[in-house]
Order: sequence, then C-alpha cells, then structure tokens
Amino acid sequence: MNPGSFFCGSADHGVNRRGFLSAAALGTAGTFAADMTQLDLLRHSAWADDVKKKEKRVILLWLAGGASQFETWDPKPGRPTGGPFRAIQTASSGVQISELMPKMAARMQTTAIIRSLNTKNGDHGGGSSLMETGRRKDPGIDYPDLGALCAKELGRIDSAVPDYVSLYSSTEGRRKGTSGFLGARYAPMFLSENMVPENVRRLETISDIDHQDRAALRDLLAKRFAQNRTSDVIGSHTNAYQRVRGLMASEKLFDIEQEPEAMRAKYGPTQFGQQCLIARRLVEAGVPFVKVARAWWDSHGQNFETHRELCADLDHSMAVLLDDLKDRGLLEHTLVLTFGEFGRTPQINPSLGRDHFASAWSASLSGCGVKGGACYGKTDPDGHTVAEGEASAGDLFATILTALGIDPHKEYTLGARPVPLSDFGSKPIKEVLA
Amino acid sequence: MTTSDPTKLKMTKEFGLPTIAFCVARVPNSGRLIFGSSDFKLYEFDALAEKPQPVAFNGEGHQSYVTGVVLCAPNIAVSGSYDGKLIWWDLEKREPIRTVSAHELWIRRLAVSPDGKTIASVSDDMQCKLWNAETGEMLRQFSDHKPMTPHDFPSMLYAVTFSPDGKFVATGDKVGHVAIWETNSGAKVATVEAPTLYTWDPRQRRHSIGGIRSLAFSPDSKLLAVGGTGQIGNIDHLEASARTEIFDWQAGQRVKEIVNDKFKGLVEHHVFDPSGQWIVSSGGDNGGFVSFHNVETGKTLHQDKAPMHVHQFALNEACDTLFAVGHHKIAIFEFKAEAAKPAEAAPATSTN
Repeated sequence: MNPGSFFCGSADHGVNRRGFLSAAALGTAGTFAADMTQLDLLRHSAWADDVKKKEKRVILLWLAGGASQFETWDPKPGRPTGGPFRAIQTASSGVQISELMPKMAARMQTTAIIRSLNTKNGDHGGGSSLMETGRRKDPGIDYPDLGALCAKELGRIDSAVPDYVSLYSSTEGRRKGTSGFLGARYAPMFLSENMVPENVRRLETISDIDHQDRAALRDLLAKRFAQNRTSDVIGSHTNAYQRVRGLMASEKLFDIEQEPEAMRAKYGPTQFGQQCLIARRLVEAGVPFVKVARAWWDSHGQNFETHRELCADLDHSMAVLLDDLKDRGLLEHTLVLTFGEFGRTPQINPSLGRDHFASAWSASLSGCGVKGGACYGKTDPDGHTVAEGEASAGDLFATILTALGIDPHKEYTLGARPVPLSDFGSKPIKEVLA
Repeated sequence: MTTSDPTKLKMTKEFGLPTIAFCVARVPNSGRLIFGSSDFKLYEFDALAEKPQPVAFNGEGHQSYVTGVVLCAPNIAVSGSYDGKLIWWDLEKREPIRTVSAHELWIRRLAVSPDGKTIASVSDDMQCKLWNAETGEMLRQFSDHKPMTPHDFPSMLYAVTFSPDGKFVATGDKVGHVAIWETNSGAKVATVEAPTLYTWDPRQRRHSIGGIRSLAFSPDSKLLAVGGTGQIGNIDHLEASARTEIFDWQAGQRVKEIVNDKFKGLVEHHVFDPSGQWIVSSGGDNGGFVSFHNVETGKTLHQDKAPMHVHQFALNEACDTLFAVGHHKIAIFEFKAEAAKPAEAAPATSTN
C-alpha cells in the first residue's frame, strides 16, 4: 500500500471511498458539483477523522522571481548588507525574522526555517527547474517536479479531485510544472487566467447519460488500441480520460464564493490571499499537492519597497492559511512550504535593489512532519556564504518527502535505471523534522 | 541675485563612501555637510576641505537607515530614520541632545520651515507631524493619505516640503496623491494628483513601483513641483524616464510636465532657483543625473550624469554649487556664471 494513499483497498477504506463518492453524488442534483457542502462532511463524519490522520497534503507557496532572505527569514540588521528593516523576535526562542513578517513571527512554532540553501544557480530558468525538481537537469531523464512526485506518492488512483493543482496568475516567470517521466496522469491542473478551471463543464448540449456513454465508448476503443501494445504514453492517456468526471466535479472547489464571507474576509482581498483560500479548500477536499505561485519578487530596483508590499501579502496570507488549516485539524497533515528559484544578493545596488543570489538563502516548512520553531543552518554575518549546515536543493526535497512520510531514497525504475525520489546523495535535514 | 548658469554645469569633485547617503543638510556659508547614512549613523563631511573625511556623530543614534536631516538652529541638526525616531544633535559636539519616538513606522523624509522653527516629518504610518524645533514638542499631525493602495498593499508617505513663505506644507505619497496644508492651523487647503508617478502592474508582476519622491514649492509659493518616475513597463527596474510635474496647486491644475529625455529613474529631489525661472532635479536609476529645466517651457537647460544615484542634494547660498549625496558617493557640481563674483546671494527656496 502506498503509505500516503487515501484508499488503500481495505474494507474500511472502501466504505470511506463509497461514502466520499456518495457525498459528492448527493450534491449533484443535475450538476457534477462536488461542492464544499458535501466535502465539508470530511469535517464531521467519523471516517473523516481517520482520513485526516492518514492523509498528507502539500501547499507550496512558490515565491516566483526570488524573494529576499534578508527581508524574510534571515535578517541581518545593522550589517552593511542588512537593509533598513529590523529583526523581530518570533514565538520560537532565539529565532528572529524580518519585521516585515510580524504575523509569521507570532506563528513560528508551526514553522521551521532552513537558512543555508546553496543551490548554485542564479538564473531564473535554471534555478526554477532546480527548485521544482530538486536536481539539476539531466539530458537523459525528464524528471518530474515536486508536485508530480507528491501527486504520485500521495494521490489515489480513483481520485475524485485533481492530484496536482498549480495556480500561477502573473505572467512573468510563469511555469506550468512538469510530471516528467511520470506521465500526463500526474501533470498539474494548471490555472493561469482564472481561478476557476476553464473548460471542465459538461457542454449543455450533451446530457449526462450521453457523456457517460461517450466515455464508455472511448474507453472500449482505447482498450482495443492498447491490446498488444506496451506504452506508458497510452496508459497515461487512458488514465487521464478515466479521471475526467472527477475533475469535472471539482469546479466548485475553486469557487471561494462558497466560503462564508467572514472566512473570505480573513484571507483578505489580494489575489494571493484568495488563492491561498482555494488551496485550503483543495487540500481539505483531498488534493494532495497545490502550488500557489506568488509573482514577482525579482526586485533589481527598489527591493525594500517591493518587499514592503509583497511580504505584507505573504505574511498575512500565509498566517491566515496556517491558522485556518490548524482550526480544521488539517495542519498536522498538511505541509506548507515557501521558496522560489533563489534568494537575493547581500549587496544593495544603486537602485536600492537586490539581484539574483543562490549561494546562501532560505526556505520555510510549516505543519506536517515539521519541528515547529526550528531554525537550521547559518549564514555568515553579512549573508554572503553559508557558514553552517549547507543544504542543496536535493536535501530540501529529501526533507520535504521525509516530512510527508515518503522515503526520499525510494526508487522509481526508468527503463533499467533506478531513479531515487530525491537526488543522489541528498539527505533529509533531521533538525527541522518532527 | 544669483551667480549661476545651469549651462555651465560640471562636476568638480567626487568622494567615495563606504555607505549609502540618503539625506543631506549643509551648514550655512560653508561646505560642511551633515548626511544620514545606511549604517544608521549621521556624519559630518567638509566637502571643501583639502582632504575631506566623513566624521561620525557619537552617542546613541538611530537603529536603521537615516533618511532625513535638517538644520534648525545654528548648532542643531535633527535626523529622522526608519526606526521611527527623531534625534536632535549638537553639531559641534556631534552628540545627541534629544530623542523622540515620532512615528510608528519608517520615517521617509524631514523638512524644516524657512524660519527654522518647525520641523515636518513623514512616515509610512501615513502621518505628517509638525514639531517644535526648539523643544521637540509635537505641534500637530495630519494625514490625507490612505494606508493602503487601491490594490490593497501598504502605501508609503515619501515626501514633504514647506513653502518658502512657511505658510504651507505639502505631503506626497506612493499613489501620487499630494495634500497641501496650512502650517499654523493644520487645515488641508488643497490636493493635487499625479497618478502617472505610480505604476501598478496588475498582470505581469502584480505589485507596484514609483511614488512621489520629491516636492518643492516655487519661490512665490504658487507652484508645486512633484517628482518621481513615469509609468514603468518592467517594474523590476527603474526603467522609466525621470519625471516632474508642476502644478498651480491652488487651481488644482497641472501646468507643466517634464519628462527627462535622457535620464531614467526617480527624481529624488528638486529645487526651484530663487528667481523661479528654472528647476534643478536629481536622482537616478542605477546611475544618477543632475538636470536643469526651464519652468515656463519645461525645456531642458542642461543636464549631466552624476557618478551615483543621488538621494538628496544641498545648494549653496549663491545657488551655483550643488552638493549631492547618494549611493556610496558624495559629488560636488558647480554651475557658476562666467565672471561670477563672490556672492551675497539669496538662499535657495528649498533644500528639503
């Protein structure tokens, strides 16, 4: 059994599965909507408690463009590189973060910081690829990104919801994500223009019965085509079609109007805040991996003004998200991550900006499997280099997977080649794990 | 009478600094500059000395970038900082006299009234506060600036200046809103809008840049110059032309729009000449500039690059020498008319 699997095939879980699907079906009444009225049964039914105990989810807050570690998790007040902002004490003794993150400072007991990433790639494209997949590109292998890995390891075969949802609304640096050699089955449902998936509704000109019949016909033809053929592509293609009705039913999960006004007000009016609320709705409904990209932190000019804006957005949205997950009993099963492709330079340029920097920067992990309040690694007094506990992208990935209960050294077999989930030689950072 | 000729602009001296200088005030009739720095300190620097060296002030100072400094009495300087504090300093001893917790958030700029009796401070708490320069007592506070931008992000209150007659104070914020206040009553008497100075990118990068970084009244107090940068395409950089808009503020009308045809970035500071015929502006992006423009026509009289992004400058009494401070440098520019005589000149209208 997949350790993170929602439905392992046991009798008990089979009941749960039927219960879940029934709950979704109850709400159809002429539509496919698995809306939150039904999915909120997760909060009330006995089987939901069991689900919550075993399910692991991930929300990646992707800080696209590269947020400054100085203005977030690794402040250096009073140093020539430190900028104008103070460091403030957090709820974790001895750990200080930037004054631009006061709400997260008060919630540091849910969060661990890694301050010693040295990922060596300060290019947007290369850095993004590295931090999405946890390893450098290999011409011979198309690696899946973290979302696809988690979709495979945490998702379930017959999921009624998407396994991997990626929201990236800004256009700068937009990247769709990749399922690599895992195939289209684990590719993200990618939302860029709207916060609700496009083209998932059944055409009004087709009845539900017609739709099911067409799917059955397609399935029959696909199976015939697949006879005597061994192709991952065919299998992946078929899998994708088999999940169509579930994906169609997920539309309302993206509709925050389904939430009470007070809840929407908590998350606030910014798009990022609203997307964090969508992320919570998705993980609550069973989506294993949600990526919310907040672009664009690439503050070559006016770094402090940019971070004054964007950190306020991040601090508020992340704090509310953690509170909400905690209130719903989901935080211990949900890992919330923040990082992007790299950090920013210690040097402050003439436009009062900071440039790309991958030699000594920070990431955060909150919730599931995390030792809250921990702070791992250290940079030198001016933040130019890692002084203690250097960590690679692979180490970060190994840590994330371990926090989720997934063996980072587990191997996929690609042809005859074993491919570990996290990069060769990577090690989880035990100091930030619960 | 001035002895200046903007067409004669040339940089005469340049000094390196280990830090970024954000603000400057000049001791009258001297080359003694008092500047605030990124190392949280206040320095004195005699720019006309043979081998000038920055000399740090002593005692308990600021805890963040020093972003405003004014002289309000023969021997008193007042500095403001991102730490929210105002500190009164004895210039001769270079020691603090008084520290006041002035604002809840970062102080962006200070200005001093022409009579030296009142100091104005502006901060990201969006308040403008007036202070008795002698006692440190707060006289009044006012704000017409919203704490959040229309796009739900924190706003900033960057700029403040007094009118040359001391009757009015102007304040300018991130989204291009300017309020003009009566100094004595604190009553708001006018507003003007310069929204072009604020760029909101709703799609590519989803944040903003810009804002009003400089304000200056004309010598007759009738015009108000508002400085910053224009609409930016790629807000990762200060890539739009430096921009000044001049308003007949009592009529609420923009009368001139000066878009720098050579230099990009922010207008960080500008000052009208005593005759009101030209305005000098300075600032920059990764580089810097000093530009002179005719107020009536808006045409460029002369301009040249500065060796650094300029954050502020001070003019001498004759209004023919400009002491600029900025990114790791101090530079002196002269623009003296041929045959200029040692001057008994009127003071510049604003060195805020």
